Amino acid sequence: MQILAGPIVQILMTAIGFSGGLALAAAGITLIYMTTGTFNFAHASMTAWGFYIVFSLYKVLLGGNPYLYFPVAFIFSGLLGVITYLVVNRWLLKRGADMVTLMMSTLGVDLAFFAFINIFADYLTATYKVNTRLIVLTTEDIILGKIGTFPFKAITIISVVIVVGMALFFYLLLNRTKFGIAFRITVENPALASILGINTETIYLFAWFMGGAMAGLGGAILSLVISGTPTVGNTVIVPEFAASIVGGLYSIYGGLVGGFLIGLSQKLIINWLGSVLGGNIVVYEPIIPLLIMAATLLLYPEGLAGIDWRRIFSRSKSSRR
Amino acid sequence: MMEGILEYLYNPLVLSILVNMAVFLIVTLSLNLETGFAGIPQFGRVLAVIAGAIGAGAIAGRMMAAMMGLPAGIEYVGDQNFVIVGELNKALESNPLLSIGALILSLAVAAVMGGIMGYLASYPAIRLKEAYLGITLLAFGDALQIVGMYYDPLAGGTAGIVVPDVFRFVGTGEIRFLSSTLIILGIAILVYLYVQSLARSPFGRALKAMRDNELAAKVYGKDIVNLRAKTLIIGGALAGMGGALWTLYTGSFKALTYNRLTWTFWPWAFMMLGGTGNNLGIVLGTLVFSTVRSLIYAYKTELTAFIPINPNWLEYLLIGVIIIAIALFRPQGILPEKPELPLSRKKIESIRASLAKGD
Repeated sequence: MQILAGPIVQILMTAIGFSGGLALAAAGITLIYMTTGTFNFAHASMTAWGFYIVFSLYKVLLGGNPYLYFPVAFIFSGLLGVITYLVVNRWLLKRGADMVTLMMSTLGVDLAFFAFINIFADYLTATYKVNTRLIVLTTEDIILGKIGTFPFKAITIISVVIVVGMALFFYLLLNRTKFGIAFRITVENPALASILGINTETIYLFAWFMGGAMAGLGGAILSLVISGTPTVGNTVIVPEFAASIVGGLYSIYGGLVGGFLIGLSQKLIINWLGSVLGGNIVVYEPIIPLLIMAATLLLYPEGLAGIDWRRIFSRSKSSRR
Repeated sequence: MMEGILEYLYNPLVLSILVNMAVFLIVTLSLNLETGFAGIPQFGRVLAVIAGAIGAGAIAGRMMAAMMGLPAGIEYVGDQNFVIVGELNKALESNPLLSIGALILSLAVAAVMGGIMGYLASYPAIRLKEAYLGITLLAFGDALQIVGMYYDPLAGGTAGIVVPDVFRFVGTGEIRFLSSTLIILGIAILVYLYVQSLARSPFGRALKAMRDNELAAKVYGKDIVNLRAKTLIIGGALAGMGGALWTLYTGSFKALTYNRLTWTFWPWAFMMLGGTGNNLGIVLGTLVFSTVRSLIYAYKTELTAFIPINPNWLEYLLIGVIIIAIALFRPQGILPEKPELPLSRKKIESIRASLAKGD
């Protein structure tokens, strides 16, 4: 128990890295949902592909530095998103399919992508004689320095930089460019947008590319924070869903905040519980995001973004007067 | 003639198709009741299934042990599990009536457990909408699986437990698997008749009205909260029986095997293929998918010679592609939903004719 409670700095650093990965993936789910109304189950495999790209290129195929392959993971999973849109989602949207059909079609896509990850893993095992069923890259990260006796890993900083950078990118894109205005109109009212001559298909394509790419980048970050197997997507998808839902499904920033809320509480609460109740409790870690999600939804049925923050702030101001 | 059929049924592949078909038919019909008829996005089907399996495997088993004066506390699911269940099996073998009673008890406990889960699920189901509700239900299912996997006193944790063989009254060995398969098939047929009669009842029509236009249903005085809760309880009880039958058939319970893919997403795929909202379609969809899955499973080693990949992944790929193809090309499924007539067509027409005469 002492061991659990001891390295709080280290736990915090892992929690930040984990939350960063989760936040990006959750914002990707939100982005796809708010534009196309599709709740994307294939995010599991898109995250797992990001994870696997970093692993295979760094550890098996090319070597060098794991961060070199983050852009590759970003683009690869982005292309998976583009494929999903062009092959499946586009036609369903044209037909005006209902939410459940949209959701289930992405489950089919997820199963196919999952099969491809495993085929790829089998191929790596057969060709390079490496274990592709248990991946531990957490020890391979660059160590920037030391906090006390604990190594300060680069991923802690880099994950936060990526998340902040992404938030800034979306802020500038949505508020300062013509494309951003077109994007917001399409989210608000697709029919009106197309009357105004906005090509909504471009917006959807962009959303699917960025949504997939953020999942891939999230997976790349997670590859340096947690160990994994080809089923890693299946494990992280539930906290990703939880983060996206807690964030409110209608705000990209909500997804990012939700990722940090879920990720930090998952890692910190379980360590606190472990130090209080004993180490056996640690196996229940995956339940924590589910409880937080359930609690949030029962209080605010549309997530954090559904709360009228302005009203709450103005009310607290007026009550102070 | 009869012997020929029996010999054919002894074929493990045929047995595997039949038992998979029967168990998944029960689970998929319960899903269709909730999703197809009531329009609840039930992405947590595994919740009630696993609760039923625990009910039959751990709770009913303990009740039997307690009745016979065997240890029924923590020992039942611990290292004594094998010995206690062995004793129970001996008793069940010597007394067929007791064995039938044990089967009924197991199913009853499973149905109650599944119903309780359905009731719990109704709490979010009347407050949340669409994606929010679907993912919350999915989370419930995952949470129970995690508890089942790691909380050993419940049902043996990761190691799992063996379960009393309530099918002892039909014998042991080969005949046991055949007869139990037929019994499960019989239960599946009963469940089909039950949900079909529900679909044709005023309750079923109220569910469809709620699904198609909640506001209109409310205006006509339908109590939406009550309808949703009832549907979830009935659906949960049926799904719990499905999970229980699988546990009883295989003679063991392991929380690991009750995952979201097998017990939530597969039934969804079966339902979509067969035809959401059409019980006969569900039978067809389940039959087709169970046959394909069992065939891939049975010919795994033979398949390896022909294709360069592990056949496991072929199963995922195939089902993934089928789901996409259904969504794209035939969203209504093989047998699309059609209006359920409360009486047979002939009867309705004769009533109409006599009414016309009366005028």
